[in-house]
Amino acid sequence: MAEVHLDAMLREFAPRRNFVSDAPTLDALLDELERDSPRLRHKLRDETGVLRRYVKVFVDGREVGASAGLATSLEGARTVDILHSIAGG
Amino acid sequence: MAQKKVRVLVGTRKGTYIVESDTRRRSWKVRPVSNAGRDIFHVTADPRRPGTLFAAVNSGFWGPIVYRSSDWGKSWREVATPLTPVAKSREPMFDPDSPAAKGRPVINLWHIAPGHPSEPKTVFIGTDPHGLFRSDDRGESWSPVSWVQDHPDRKNWSPGAGGPCLHTILVDPRDPKRMYIGMSAVGTFRSDDAGAHWHPTNQGVETPFQPEKFPETGQCVHHVALDAEDPEVAYRQDHGGMYVNRHGMEGRWERVGKLKGAPPDDFGFAVTSAPALPGRAFFVPLGGEARTTLRGGLDVWEWNDRTRRWRSVLSPKLFPGDYGVQREGIAADALEPAGLYVGTTTGQLVVSPDAGRSWTLVPYQFPGIHSVEAAVG
Repeated sequence: MAEVHLDAMLREFAPRRNFVSDAPTLDALLDELERDSPRLRHKLRDETGVLRRYVKVFVDGREVGASAGLATSLEGARTVDILHSIAGG
Repeated sequence: MAQKKVRVLVGTRKGTYIVESDTRRRSWKVRPVSNAGRDIFHVTADPRRPGTLFAAVNSGFWGPIVYRSSDWGKSWREVATPLTPVAKSREPMFDPDSPAAKGRPVINLWHIAPGHPSEPKTVFIGTDPHGLFRSDDRGESWSPVSWVQDHPDRKNWSPGAGGPCLHTILVDPRDPKRMYIGMSAVGTFRSDDAGAHWHPTNQGVETPFQPEKFPETGQCVHHVALDAEDPEVAYRQDHGGMYVNRHGMEGRWERVGKLKGAPPDDFGFAVTSAPALPGRAFFVPLGGEARTTLRGGLDVWEWNDRTRRWRSVLSPKLFPGDYGVQREGIAADALEPAGLYVGTTTGQLVVSPDAGRSWTLVPYQFPGIHSVEAAVG
């Protein structure tokens, strides 16, 4: 079971900021999240299923872009942080 | 009965602004920003349902989102967003074997156009990558106009500097089946069967950026406006100059931007026409590598297609500086005399309540302006 933390900026699309999930992979976790909060669909992943450029996901503090991406296993994971990256201006 | 208001719908790099006045258009009130922080490429009013607005919202973080308002922008609701139909999608929108199924996701929404008055729930939207989508339920769902998505030459369509976008959608007010679209670095096309088939309409438009000067397609059209009285007449601001066509975009376009008395350069992005000023179009000439105004100040020119004369309607001495104006950066309202509105990439909104005889600056520093539209109601 992983504790999932959502960026405050996502509150517009997802009412819950923190919850617990037993999804086996990050992709499955995002599916679960979109079922729970339909307005999140295509906000974190585009319609081809790719994580948007400025959405950053960390599993146990490690950014998934540096590992298996959306296929990252959540087995044994304790925390998942879904954030927006430093960008803008 | 409530007094009519004029509302300027301003899409900026950091949100949507609604700027209001009475019909005298001398004093303006800027309402609080909505969709703050997001790139708003276009905001448009639906004249078939007064009070309804659509906004093409592009969030750097969360992607493209379509918003609709039913109260002149006081509140907004997210509706459906057009998506590239992709084979990998969990819910394919149409044939997954379509060439478009291998395409890129929609990354920006460029232009929203309400459909013909006889189709009161129809709305069109143009996207990057080159895409045209149709909704018949006021934006609650979208279908791709497959000719654009599946075109065999699509792989050869190049992006302009703003990306591979479909940015101009015009529905003939006399006939819902006749439509025109404009795509950056591809050109303009006409359909006479509500979008099932299209043919290119770029004859006579020069492409100074490639070896072949007058190809059938490949023109970098920047924007097109139909004449308010005679929709057979179209005014075109192209990368290759300022043009007019008087035959429903069939046959040759005439390059009026090089005639005697024309603006200092016929490059630019924006063009509009005004219902109260048939036979006329308004352009903002730009130039140089900076793509800014050329005469030391904001500069607006009127082309009168009946007298075949050019006229400067905004002296550059009035608002000195070097200004950029994007393709949706000039608009007219439907009042008499016509109101003209120009938004700049540095966030100035200037207004003429009398067809260009006088101008004022709305006293508010906006973020960089992508688009202006005017609605009366």
